[in-house]
Amino acid sequence: MQVQNPTTESVTPNQCPLCAQQVPGANRMVGEVLSCDGCSAELEVVGLNPLRLEEAPEVEEDWGE
Amino acid sequence: MRKVDLVYTRVRTEEKLLLEALRRRDCAVNMVADSGQVLSVDRQRVSDADTVLMRSMSFTRARYLATFLELKGARVLNSARTISLCGDKALTCAALAAKGVPMPWAFVAFDEDACLDAIETKGYPVVTKPVLGSWGRMVARLDSRSAAEGVLAMRFGTGGAQDHVALVQEYVDKPGYDLRVYVIGRAVGGLRRRSEHWVTNTARGAVPERYEVPVVHAKLAEAAAEAVGGDMVAVDLLETRGGDLYVNEINHCVEFARSIEATGVPLPDLIADYVVTGAGGGRG
Repeated sequence: MQVQNPTTESVTPNQCPLCAQQVPGANRMVGEVLSCDGCSAELEVVGLNPLRLEEAPEVEEDWGE
Repeated sequence: MRKVDLVYTRVRTEEKLLLEALRRRDCAVNMVADSGQVLSVDRQRVSDADTVLMRSMSFTRARYLATFLELKGARVLNSARTISLCGDKALTCAALAAKGVPMPWAFVAFDEDACLDAIETKGYPVVTKPVLGSWGRMVARLDSRSAAEGVLAMRFGTGGAQDHVALVQEYVDKPGYDLRVYVIGRAVGGLRRRSEHWVTNTARGAVPERYEVPVVHAKLAEAAAEAVGGDMVAVDLLETRGGDLYVNEINHCVEFARSIEATGVPLPDLIADYVVTGAGGGRG
């Protein structure tokens, strides 16, 4: 199976797109969800090397258990 | 070394814990984003993994991916059949009824007036929920004809054909909580979800607490899992104030981040053990 490596419009690498807090980039995975230490926003890793982050997407219609 | 494809929508706490648990068992884990998959409709294999652990948050993607990966010879946990049944609450009810598993009475209806007439015959209150909904969204308790008219007008007046199915269930007067039993091949533990609100999803603020699963609850949960062919599922139980016990819903992509501390059930390890041992091989 192919492993996806999405490319999207993004913000300054290694920073929270909402508050510019630096986010540690080691051992991250594309698709990983993390919480910003600066503003507690839920972020999603959308690119690696450099680390690129976006605000995690809104809940979609068919998500969840 | 066992090879596992872990299919995900987002790498949440659950997926991180599962990844770690699998790696502790010397598994080679390939993280596979569901959004990037393109699968030809044929029997050509796409992976040499022993098992695909389906952790897609999207019911739609999980159902199709599992279907086509199975076509290509993969062992998918949970299976496409289980995902299809659990992801659609009306089909879950049908599968439970087929096996005689106790649940709240329920009916499906496809027309606003017919549905309203049936509710009036049964009497209020009742619960209606979208067949494909999740996390307690758009679940409504109908206490009166006027409430039913409003909700049903929206149910049948908006959305597409898939939305124009009303699943109506008996309202069960719970004693302030519902119960969740995890079945990983067998019942392995559970939690009680306490809330002042009649909706008791932890995603909606219910507080998880420890719950020692009695044998009778474990057997009921295992029967429910068997009815949908589930290898690793979370079975939601409703207990009435009179002591009756019903299966309410079955979840095929078990979420546990909000409750793992409260339950003390090592779900990531139990799931990883199940994957590694190759247990099950599909119940249904």
